[in-house]
Amino acid sequence: MSVETRRNFGTVRLPAGFNGLLPALVLIVLFFVIPVLALLLRSVTEPEPGLQNYAALLGDGTYARVFFNTFLVASVVTIVTVLVAFPVAWMLAIMPSALASIVFGVIILSMWTNLLTRTYAWMVLLQRTGVINRTLIAAGVIDQPLPLINNLTGVTIGMVYIMLPFMILPLVGTLRAIDPMTLRAAALCGASPFQAFRRILLPLSLPGIAAGGLMVFVMSLGYFVTPALLGGTSNMMLAEMIAQMIQSLLNWGLGSAAAFILLVVTMALYALQLRLVGARRMSGGI
Amino acid sequence: MTQPFLSIRNLRKAFGAITAVHDVTLDIPRGEFLTFLGPSGSGKSTTLYAIAGFQDPSSGDVLLEGKSLLAVPSHKRNIGMVFQRYTLFPHLTVAENVAFPLRVRRRPEAEVKKKVADMLALVRLESFATRLPGALSGGQQQRVALARALAYDPPILLMDEPLSALDKKLREEIQAEIRRIHRETGVTILYVTHDQEEALHLSDRIALFRDGRIEQTGSGEDLYLRPATDFVAGFIGNSNFLAAEHLDTSDGTATIRLADGSVISGVRANGTFGRGEKTRLMIRPEAFGMERSPASAELNVEIVDVAFYGERRRIVARTAAGEGVDIRPTSAAMQSQDASPCSRQVFFDPAAAFLFPA
Amino acid sequence: MLLDYDRMGWLKIALLGFTALVAGFLLLPVVFIVLLSFGSSRWLAFPPPGWTLKWYQELFADPAWLDAALTSARIATMTAILAVAIGLLASFALVRGQFAGREILRGLLLTPMVLPVVVFAIAIYAFFLRLGLGGTTIGFVIAHTVLALPFAIIPVATALEGFDKSIEDAAIVCGASPLEARLRITLPSIRIGIFSAAIFSFLASWDEVVVAIFMASPSLQTLPVKIWGSLRSDLSPVIAAASSLLVGLTLALMVVTALLQRKLRT
Ligand SMILES: Nc1ncnc2c1ncn2[C@@H]1O[C@H](COP(=O)(O)OP(=O)(O)O)[C@@H](O)[C@H]1O
Ligand SMILES: [Mg+2]
Repeated sequence: MSVETRRNFGTVRLPAGFNGLLPALVLIVLFFVIPVLALLLRSVTEPEPGLQNYAALLGDGTYARVFFNTFLVASVVTIVTVLVAFPVAWMLAIMPSALASIVFGVIILSMWTNLLTRTYAWMVLLQRTGVINRTLIAAGVIDQPLPLINNLTGVTIGMVYIMLPFMILPLVGTLRAIDPMTLRAAALCGASPFQAFRRILLPLSLPGIAAGGLMVFVMSLGYFVTPALLGGTSNMMLAEMIAQMIQSLLNWGLGSAAAFILLVVTMALYALQLRLVGARRMSGGI
Repeated sequence: MTQPFLSIRNLRKAFGAITAVHDVTLDIPRGEFLTFLGPSGSGKSTTLYAIAGFQDPSSGDVLLEGKSLLAVPSHKRNIGMVFQRYTLFPHLTVAENVAFPLRVRRRPEAEVKKKVADMLALVRLESFATRLPGALSGGQQQRVALARALAYDPPILLMDEPLSALDKKLREEIQAEIRRIHRETGVTILYVTHDQEEALHLSDRIALFRDGRIEQTGSGEDLYLRPATDFVAGFIGNSNFLAAEHLDTSDGTATIRLADGSVISGVRANGTFGRGEKTRLMIRPEAFGMERSPASAELNVEIVDVAFYGERRRIVARTAAGEGVDIRPTSAAMQSQDASPCSRQVFFDPAAAFLFPA
Repeated sequence: MLLDYDRMGWLKIALLGFTALVAGFLLLPVVFIVLLSFGSSRWLAFPPPGWTLKWYQELFADPAWLDAALTSARIATMTAILAVAIGLLASFALVRGQFAGREILRGLLLTPMVLPVVVFAIAIYAFFLRLGLGGTTIGFVIAHTVLALPFAIIPVATALEGFDKSIEDAAIVCGASPLEARLRITLPSIRIGIFSAAIFSFLASWDEVVVAIFMASPSLQTLPVKIWGSLRSDLSPVIAAASSLLVGLTLALMVVTALLQRKLRT
């Protein structure tokens, strides 16, 4: 027995089937984990060792405004996305497949189209002299152009546009998993369409809404491109501030501290989402 | 003229090219337990769904106490229903499921509490009130569904193959409960099944469906003893069909000649037949006896095999013309020597034999 | 009856109307940009006063655009190949492997998808500055492969989970070597997953902006970086022309995907 044990002593034995993971792990550890950790290290060592970067970020009103804006934009975008996505997902879940595939086609086209292309289109559409303002003026709805860009409105429109597919597609799955018979039973029990929606359909789709909504929220928190192009200077978001600190101000200490805060918040919410989705799996996909 | 309680008038339902229900007309008195029996795909569920309001009929009408239900949406029809699949609300507890129809009717909370307790007692699930449906067995879930469907005292209860997903023992247990509940509540029940035993066991009356039409309506006894068509005879109970030549009919009883040449008179004629017309004679396996009696007719058979089934024996036999005959006399009626393979005569009452078109 | 399409009455009409509006909203920028690229107004007036191809001529006359497109294509292709190869190996290990911590490792490999790109961008930017890989093709490919890996692993792992391993075992019992069984039985069965992985990782690199903005050097620019730069200076219709070509590429990819999937399924 002891001879047997000793024979393997000192040799590294990888568990069965593990080898395939090695290239991926090397890549991720070397070019993801280490660079990110190195960045975090910078946040407590530059310009000198200590937590002064975090103190500066959390103590200063200007930065607090950026944090507030980031949460505000992410919240507004999430709420609007959920409200817009739910009816669409609902119809997609039950409409004839020929019709549904047209709508899915539109969603995929929009999702796969280059992010900058889409954002560029919104810049052109929303600007002061853009199509939307001109059309509204021509129709006599307004006589002064509406400020649609470089503010919360612009960011919200552009971000909702990008997030919609990420909300619609998983929600369709959730809704398709609900047995239509359940809703028929509710109707026969005397529930009006509104009551059936409030008491049955909505609660049964809530796990999907929560998981999708959280994902949209997390993605919105760290979004860079769209807020930078469609948002205004007065409502800058965290990602843009981080980029500025590094690119324009070359303040690596402050920039990496802000990045670390973004990372922690994101990861915490992501863990929460995993728990939501995991809990859903355990309860049998309901 | 008294008005029927529930009335289905010339109901027809087509899905594109498929006609699921051709023409169904039926009157159901208050308090009746009526079963739709028939093979799968014969239009039973479709008929039930038209009553529930899940589908609009292509034509025809459904009347409750003389008033058409068609314009009434499902949620205002005040009908109870138990489905084949478990359709409990998965996010609500057993008690909340049963309370649901009362809550949407905005009944006072005290009344809801009492009614839920009564209903759970009715289906004997008092101790499961706080469980979620996912934590119940199939039989328990169907009992909750029954309690939920009865909680608002609907005058009509629809049941679409509610027991088909359960095993035999559980099925019989819940059948007994359904009978008891029907007795205790007096609710009118429309029950769908493809299981003839279940239909015979439960119902006051059976409507036998075939290809979107009702083939015959009557008590189980009617259908068994007086089948209107060979389909009914074949579907309800067991039956032997023997080729026969029609010779003569008078007063609804006919004289025929079987393939082996024997002439039998006094059988019941279902329909009018010409002289020499080819027909089929139906005899229940249970109608055969081993002893001659004054009125009985006889049949020469060769016994091929005998099996013992407790109270009855099952004899596989063949006529001289080579037609298979299934014979099930009571065990008591047979002596042991009857069981040996041999040629012999068996006897039946012609009044229990039916003549159908070929 | 809220899930019975045929029995929803006015509610269905309302919801369908809303769905049509949302579909219109999703289609609007894409259609609009293509129309504008053919419009003659430099100020992007709409409807355009006339139609022209001059923005496309301007686009093709500027070698910087073509350069950027070729750079993007090169980097995205290499990224897709690398990500699919690494992702394929990793998926087999994650789905088939019998070792503790599998879930944690899976989570680790998928993290680049959820971490805000800007964090990774400045981290890898700083790291590559030290290694001297900043502004190099290889640096781009490595960074993009990290970002594309989750998009390669998810479809392959999903396909693999849906594949009945006993079929592979049957091939081995019939005398195939384990490797042969994998190559000849399993890989063809999960080809839709592999194909999706390739498309997604290609797009992950091709459309990637944030890392690219940090990593780009004047001599090495991807298409998104070029667009980004132009966007910040002015909203020239040339960008509309470039964007329209990208929309065309997306449509082509969608059609190819749909056709291939149909063919692969049969
Ligand atoms: N929604 C539907 N669309 C098309 N055909 C249907 C639909 N519902 C039922 N049918 C068809 O109608 C016929 C009768 O179905 P059904 O009433 O469910 O029969 P049963 O309940 O007696 O088994 C079947 O042939 C079935 O395929
Ligand atoms: Mg049925």
